[in-house]
Amino acid sequence: MNVGIIGSGAWGKALATLVARAGHQPRIGYRRNPPGGIPGTPNLDTLVAESDLTILSVPSDAVESVIRQCKPGAESRMVIATRGLQPETGEWLSDLVVSLSPCRRVGSLAGPALAAEVVRNRPSGMVIASPFDEVCTLTQDALHSAICRVYTSNDMRGVELAGAMVLVLSMAVGITVGLDLGIGSRGIVITRGIAEATRLGAALGAHPQTFAGLAGVGDLVSCASHKDHPSFAAGLALARGARCPERFQRDAQSVIRLAQRSEVDLPLTSAVAAIATGELRPKLAFDALMRREARAE
Amino acid sequence: MTQESSRSVSRALRGRMKVRIEEMSDDALYSYLAEAVYLERQRLLKSTDATAEEERAAVESAARAIHEGRAEMIEAVLAMTRTYAHEIHNRFSERTYEVATKLLPGALTRLLSAAGPKTALGPDFDPGSRIAVHGPVDMLRQLAETHTLVLAPTHVSNLDSPVIGYALYQTGLPPFIYGAGLNLFDNPAMSFFMSRLGAYTVDRRKRHRVYKDVLKDYSTERIGRGAHSLFFPGGTRCRSGKIETRLKRGLLGTAIQAWQEGLQAEGEGREILVVPCTLSFSLVLEAETLIEDSLSEQGKARYIISDDEFSEPTTVYHFARKVLNLDASVHVRFGAPLDLLGNPVDAQGCSLDPGGQPFERRAYVMTEGGDVVADPQRDKVYTNHLATALSHAYQRDHTVLSTQVVARAAWDCLTMRYPRLDTYQQVLLAPHEQWVDREVLLTRLREWLDQIDRLTEAGALHQALPKGEGERAELVLTEAVERFSSYHSRPAVAHEDWRILVDPKLALYYGNRLAGVPAPEVKR
Repeated sequence: MNVGIIGSGAWGKALATLVARAGHQPRIGYRRNPPGGIPGTPNLDTLVAESDLTILSVPSDAVESVIRQCKPGAESRMVIATRGLQPETGEWLSDLVVSLSPCRRVGSLAGPALAAEVVRNRPSGMVIASPFDEVCTLTQDALHSAICRVYTSNDMRGVELAGAMVLVLSMAVGITVGLDLGIGSRGIVITRGIAEATRLGAALGAHPQTFAGLAGVGDLVSCASHKDHPSFAAGLALARGARCPERFQRDAQSVIRLAQRSEVDLPLTSAVAAIATGELRPKLAFDALMRREARAE
Repeated sequence: MTQESSRSVSRALRGRMKVRIEEMSDDALYSYLAEAVYLERQRLLKSTDATAEEERAAVESAARAIHEGRAEMIEAVLAMTRTYAHEIHNRFSERTYEVATKLLPGALTRLLSAAGPKTALGPDFDPGSRIAVHGPVDMLRQLAETHTLVLAPTHVSNLDSPVIGYALYQTGLPPFIYGAGLNLFDNPAMSFFMSRLGAYTVDRRKRHRVYKDVLKDYSTERIGRGAHSLFFPGGTRCRSGKIETRLKRGLLGTAIQAWQEGLQAEGEGREILVVPCTLSFSLVLEAETLIEDSLSEQGKARYIISDDEFSEPTTVYHFARKVLNLDASVHVRFGAPLDLLGNPVDAQGCSLDPGGQPFERRAYVMTEGGDVVADPQRDKVYTNHLATALSHAYQRDHTVLSTQVVARAAWDCLTMRYPRLDTYQQVLLAPHEQWVDREVLLTRLREWLDQIDRLTEAGALHQALPKGEGERAELVLTEAVERFSSYHSRPAVAHEDWRILVDPKLALYYGNRLAGVPAPEVKR
């Protein structure tokens, strides 16, 4: 199988490694930096046309421009391996494929697979979610091997939302570490954060179990345990007084926009968004969360 | 359809069923037949139809086959298929259609006067001024010559079929076959015309998979043979009055199957396109029963309402006289045609991508080498995409009428008067509470009219609201009040001095037509 991967960063290269380990032919599409050591091409539309499956691993704010450039067709199968939502609107990234191209066979890939560990043959796991069984089995086939377990799901919205929430919640865990709130606080943030993700997901028609799976709890535990993970590191820096880079503010705000449209209350996520934009100081925000009215779990 | 082609369709349906059941394991086949026997026995327990005895005998014969063996079960399913195929077939005749359509205005008149007083509506009665037809009809006429069209209208009333039939006739579009509920054939005038204008029978009382599969196979077969087809994707008349958003995919999915079969037959089949169609009635014949049903707890159980206003011929006659005597009281809007995944198409029927560029849609189901890849699961998801595109089209193509916007404004005013009541409490307001201040209603109506204007300008809606001398909201209110008073025994909205009397249930029903339109802010 020819597998095209768009994005020559660490994650794109890690995916190429997994594809090769699964016995298939990876090729990386790039815009600026050739992948070095892996077959690559700057012609994204040709790459998509010649691939049986294309995986997108670019930042969420680049997804739209990449789709316009690579022009997937009716025959294409596209998988988004990018966490997050559309930065400006809070809409789904997978919807961009459908709204900008004739391509309909779309999926979302997420899970606790860290690029640095994948290239060192450490075990990893992911879930591929698509309403199309065909996209699920093709992606599973492209990536599954003795060092990477790939599970399938039909809950694409759930996996996309889980990925978006993981970005925000790992920032939250970073904040608790930076504030030295203790080990217990990580447990609280992870559990209550997943509860918020599940609540929002249920309101949007996702399966609650998705958030207890690889794309939810699995991914959050690994991101929140990895001191160099960008979102975690951003949270750590925020707690220590640094300014939050804009892309992390957008990550949080896009989830809040989605929650507002669905009229779902997300106190922890809202607190992180307020911290990220500088509206609230981290310590005050967490104090306020701890002083909320007692309730059932 | 000639007798020869009837036999060939029946043969084809048995062939399809044979392929289906031969792939089933013994257990699956047992379950398939046993479900049919069980549900038919349930249905026939209370049936007083003339054919009930014969049907019971057939069911018991199938029941015996379950205990015999695989070969006997297969034969029993095929026997059922033969029976259902015969029942579903229509007596559609091209020649009769031509004759009937030339006489249609007169025929429509006779339809309406057939069951009541003999006084016809008069030779000068012209349905053309009462039923307004809109949309890209030239393009559709051209496409109908080279493509098979699937018309997908919204479903408001049992009068939708003759209204659409008239619209097709008026626009010079070819005949369409369509499934009509068996209960509709109880009305003798409707039965006569429906079977001759393409109606095949659908018995919604039969809920087992054997029947549903035969029905879908029939649809697939006829579309595959080039018959333009009509489905109501909402399945049934919308009880609440809202424009349907939850569409049934069963029959819609037969189009995509027929398409692939045509591709497999080395491209001999015609390409298939879908045409959304919205109907907007100033007044709805069955409004009172439908909203009652929507609100009542029994609503779900009464999926087939057979004892509503439509079943009373006199009521139909009075309604038709009153509604069809009102200018432009019914709007039929054909939408822009779509391919089977909901993509727009150009005048030649080529699919267009979001940038307006043509692309090859066969790639959705074919490999580069030209082989069709069968994947029913994939096709279900494709049909979901089509359903989404249709529901967007229904909202965008809806024509707002005065009765709808006034009813909605009146409902909003009741909500403002009684903010603590939910919908179910508000519809049960006591008679002395069922009114709003006229000036308050006009204010809210102005807010709605501004909103509708904005959306119309943005291409997100259509309107057919009165214009003329005088303040617009006053004109719209006056027209709505007149129209409501012409049919319903208790009008949705009526004048009484400085007050407007509101029937909450009818206001809810008619106002629900705007449920998909973002409500304007209340400016106070």
